[in-house]
Order: sequence, then structure tokens, then C-alpha cells
Amino acid sequence: MRLLIVEDDRKLAEFVARGLRAERFAVDLASDGLEGQRYLDTYQYDLLILDLMLPQLSGTELLRRVRRAHSALPVLVLTARDATQDKVAHFEAGADDYLTKPFDFAELIVRIKALLRRTPQEHNDILRVGDLELNRLTQQVRRDGQRIELTAKEYAVLEYLLSSPGRVFSRTMILEHVWDQSFEGVTNIVDVYVRYLRRKVDEPFVDKLIHTVRGIGYCVRAAESAHEAGHE
Amino acid sequence: MNHRSLAFRLAVWYALLLSATFALVGTAMFYGLEQYLRAGLADSLRRRSTQIEQILAQVSAVSTQADIAEAIETRVAPEFNNRFVRVTRAPGEVIFRSGMPGDRSFDPAKVPPLTGPWPARSLAHRIETSNHQWLMGSTTPLNTASGRYLVELGASLEPVEAVQTRLLSLLGLLLPVLVACAAGGGYLLVGRALRPVDRMAQTAEQMIVQDLDARLPVVASGDALERLAISLNHMLTRLRDSVQTSRRFLADASHELRTPLTVIKGELQEIVGTAGIARELRERIGSVLEEVARLEHLVSGLLNLSRLDVGEAQREWVDVDLAELAAGTAEQMRLMAEDRGIQLEASALHSTLVRGDLGRLKQIIVNLLDNAIRFTPRGGTVSVQTIRRESYDALEVRDTGIGIPAAALPHIFDRFFRVDAARSREDGGAGLGLSIVRSICVAHRAQIEVDSEVGRGSCFRVKFPRYERPRITAAPLASTPSGEGGSQHSERLSVSSADRGP
Repeated sequence: MRLLIVEDDRKLAEFVARGLRAERFAVDLASDGLEGQRYLDTYQYDLLILDLMLPQLSGTELLRRVRRAHSALPVLVLTARDATQDKVAHFEAGADDYLTKPFDFAELIVRIKALLRRTPQEHNDILRVGDLELNRLTQQVRRDGQRIELTAKEYAVLEYLLSSPGRVFSRTMILEHVWDQSFEGVTNIVDVYVRYLRRKVDEPFVDKLIHTVRGIGYCVRAAESAHEAGHE
Repeated sequence: MNHRSLAFRLAVWYALLLSATFALVGTAMFYGLEQYLRAGLADSLRRRSTQIEQILAQVSAVSTQADIAEAIETRVAPEFNNRFVRVTRAPGEVIFRSGMPGDRSFDPAKVPPLTGPWPARSLAHRIETSNHQWLMGSTTPLNTASGRYLVELGASLEPVEAVQTRLLSLLGLLLPVLVACAAGGGYLLVGRALRPVDRMAQTAEQMIVQDLDARLPVVASGDALERLAISLNHMLTRLRDSVQTSRRFLADASHELRTPLTVIKGELQEIVGTAGIARELRERIGSVLEEVARLEHLVSGLLNLSRLDVGEAQREWVDVDLAELAAGTAEQMRLMAEDRGIQLEASALHSTLVRGDLGRLKQIIVNLLDNAIRFTPRGGTVSVQTIRRESYDALEVRDTGIGIPAAALPHIFDRFFRVDAARSREDGGAGLGLSIVRSICVAHRAQIEVDSEVGRGSCFRVKFPRYERPRITAAPLASTPSGEGGSQHSERLSVSSADRGP
């Protein structure tokens, strides 16, 4: 998969590129709108990551041109502006998704993978980590065969964490995914729910699956890999 | 009527000045008229006296008293003219005295005789009758060939007094009417003159900091009012410019912070995610990341505020049932409260319709509840309720928390204000939550109030202007009795409170 990042902030571009390369993507970097245009004209890309405030040629204008020339290319917009009007405007201009700085790299990866799937999300009905099993159809959670009763919110948090085992989800990501924008900043609510979740999912068992990564957030990881990454 | 208003004060001044002038003119008229009438009377007495003197001058030795009386009656006709006439021949013999005057204004019999020596020449004076009536008198000594005479004439002052009395009553009648006219007219005129000022005040009052583009109406009157309107408008322009500059700065600064924050966060997260780094290093970077998260929260709060300052589009406004929203939000935050040993009550919720941005309205509830939970000790209670009043609908969040000192109350909605810096920073509050709440309230034309007592708790009240759903269809729903509405409501609650076990 080949991705193009058009972003004028060199450090941000490089950090994103490095992360994406680690996820085995081929990544090209362009630092202004015109350069981005040249890359797009020259190579075939599977996805475009576009900053909106660019020198030479604005991201909005580039987006418009992309839609004329490569109508099917998925475009993920990165911007510092997150007013609702801006969002609407950019979706209208042809953006497929929208991510506001400062974003979590994990969130970026989730969005990119969702965009690249194109076809409706291949749904794993059963999510598994170690002996923990979550059935999306019956909304039942079992560990070691034992049924665990969760509240709707606890279930939603666990399902989100299990959607990408091993990946660290920030509190903000969990908050925005399970709650909504109105809870912005009330991240301690996430801690409370994770604590209750742990009480039900981890406490009765020897191996702990839900891990806290200090300063970042939470992840669900099977016991054997727990020694590598930090946990409490 | 406002007793301190300019119009009222000016009207009072008008009335006072006018009454003073009127009183002055009235007094002058009163005395002037008296002088004039008395002078006229004195003049007439003198003329009669002259006539009698002529008659006496012609008196010869053969003339009898009757002749003299007849001559006087014929020439002067004192009774008919309402005059008193008495002629005394020296040394003291009264040879003529007029009878009862036609208007009976005095009794000639009661006029006292002249006492003391006769005057050397003609003099005018006042005579008091024995029954205390005042006459104007003229006494003239006369030496003729037939002897010395004293001619006394008098006229009642009553007609003069009657005219004066009539003038006085006229003035007395006119004065209040005039004063009332002056006061009322003055009040109206000043009110009229001040109407442009009123309009300016109204316009200025309707201006909110979100919309500084409105200008005061300028009346081209060429006077101080026009200059006032123009200079206020200039001031508004400067105010708008400076507000815009500071807002742009806030927005730009927050925007500019976002890209570096992304890089810092990303790089640090990557290091933490690298396998095999020392645990201690991981902890330290984690600690830095926690600060980055706080910075991030701060920047997003500032952006939130700057966006609210600019004024968000109202086209996304919808009808929102505050009660339903509050119940749902409280349900979502219940666990957070219980985790801190606080009881969260969402009772007394009556269906209350307001119009606004659903997400923003929810943010008000979330922030107020979060705030209440954070400042309420274990074992306390936080409650949310809606209130319907005649002119407004309100949302109330009460807690039994630590309360806010009175000195801090006026500042709690200020950006970055903290009642107790150490305490709330520890809890991760950036000091922006309540000012975001206030900004959302301003955008929704809602008022926010707070009552608080240290040690007892606080109550935040958001008052929304009464909003009635525009009736487009005469839906049968509208006639649903409130009792049924209540049960529907509780059903909705159970649906929205999604936080139940699977």
C-alpha cells in the first residue's frame, strides 16, 4: 500500500511517515500543495493524507483537484481546525475522513485502515485475546468459558479495546468513541469505567489482560506479551 | 415615573420657574391694579370736591342750607354715585351730609366726625367707619366770603377690593393649570428630545460581545446627541477591532500549538511503545505525556472558547428536551459519581423544551455535573433538575460539596480562575470548564447563576428563555394529558439510559 502525506510541518510529516512505515506502508512525503500535486500526477496512491493549511497551493484546493482527477482516491484530512462548519465544508469538498490535531497515532492508523478497507468493514463477530472472548452478535463476554456481565458502557469500552489488541488507546480516543464530544476533557470517566471493567474481567483471574500505559492510555494484550511492554 | 430621570427633573424645574414667574407677575398685577384703582378713585373724589367747592364759593348770605344741599345733590348726586359727602361750616356745624348710597356700601351715619383741628390744606386719607369699614377720603378746607368750610368726601374701597379679589381668584385658578401644563408639557417635550438617547441606549443594551457589528442610530441633529452617537459608534468599532484581534490571537495561538503537540505526543508515545526500554524511562516519559495531555486539554478548551466567542452557526439548532438530556447525561455519569461515593440524583425532571445545539447543551450538563462531582466529598449528593417558571425554563445542578467562598463567586466563570489552585489542579481541571459553560449559555441567550455556601454546597442554575415549539400540525399529541406524558417520559428515560447490563 502506497500512501502520500502532504504536510508542511516537516517533523509531523516525518513522525507520521515513520509510524506508517513501521506499519508496513510505503510512504511519500510532500511539503507543499504543488509538490503534492506533482507526486499525485506521477504515482499511483492508495490513500492521501492531507494537511489543509499548506503553502503554494492550499490543501482545500488540492483536494478539489484530486476529486476531479482521481475521484476514487481516499483522502484523510489533517487539520488544526475543527469547527463544525469546517468539517462540513471539507466533507463537501471531498474528504473521506477528518482528523483534528493533536491526534493520537493509534487513531490515525485506525482511520487509515478503515479507509483502505473500502468494502464494508469485515466484521469479526468474535474478538479474542488470550482466554477473553467477546461475541459481537450476542454481546456476550466470556473469560475462560465463564460468562461476564457487563454494563453497556463497559461493554463498549471493552469492544473498542479489543478491536485492535496490543494497540494503546488514549483516553481521548476512548472518550470520543464510547461517549461523545460533549464529554471533552472529562477523561477521568474513562478511568472509572476501565477500573470497573478490570474488576470484572481481570481481578478474578491470574493473568491480567487490560494494561495501563502511563501517559497514553489503555490496551488489551495477552499475558505472554505483557512482559515486553510496560504495565502497572 | 422615575423621580430621578432627566425628564422628570427638567419638568419640575420648568414648573418651579414658571410658577415663580407667574407669582411675580401676579403680585405686580395685584398691586399695580390696586394702585391704579385707588388713584382713579382719589381722582374722582378730588373732582367731586372741586365741584362742591365751586358751589360753596357761590354761596351767598341768603342761601339756606337747603339751597346748598339741593345744589350739591344736583351737581354731585352722592347717593347715586355711592359717595359720602359732608360739608361742615366753621366752627362745627354740619350743613350737608349725604344719605345712604345706592349700593349701600357704607352707612354715612357711621362715618365719625372729624376730630382735632382742621387741616391747613387738602389731604387724602382713609377713614374707618364705626362699623369698621374703610373709606377713601378727601378732606379739603375752604375759605370763602361766606365763611370757612370743610368739605369731606368718601368712597367705599369695597369695589376696589372686589376687583382685587376677583383678580386673585383668577390668578389662583390659573396658576395650577399653568403649572400643570408646564410640567406635563415639559415632561413630554424632554421625553421627546431624549427619545434618540433612549433608542441609543436600547441598541447598546442589545449588543452582546458576540455581535459587535451593530451600530447606534445617528440622528443628524447637528448637536451633542449626534456627536455622542458618532463617538460611541467609533468606540464600538475600536472595541470590535480589539475584541477581534484578541480572539484571532487566541484562535491562532491555539491552532499553532496543535501541530507541535501532535509531534511531541507522537514521538513520546513511540518511545514508550519501543520494546526493551528501561521501565524507569518509560515511567518518566509517561509522566511527560500526562502533561502533554493536560496541555492538549487546555488547547482544546481554549479553541472551544474561541469558537464560541466567534459564535457558532445556529442552523444546527434543534428542539431539545432538557429533562431527557439531563437524565441521559446523569445516567452516563452515574458510575463516576458512585465511584467517588457520591449519590447522583436526576429526579424532578419535567419535560422542558429549549432550542439549541444538542452537543453544546449536553456539554453544559456534563461540565456542571463534573464540576459538582469533583468538589463534593464522599457521601455527598449531586442532583440535577429542571424547573419551569413563568418566564423561563431552568436547569439546576445542586451539590452538597465544599461550596464557593463569596469572594470567589463573581470570578468562577472567568477563564483560568480557580478557587483553590492546588486542589483543582490536582484534579486535572484547567479552569476552563465553567467559562465554557458560560460561553455556551451566552450563545444560547441563557443566563447562568450560582448560589453557594461554604461547607454546605453550591447550586448552578441555567435559565433559558421560554421556548414554545412552533405548532405546525395540530397533532393529537398536543392534547395528551400531562400524566401520560410523564409515563412516556419515563419510558424514554429507560431507553436512553443505555448503561445497563447486556
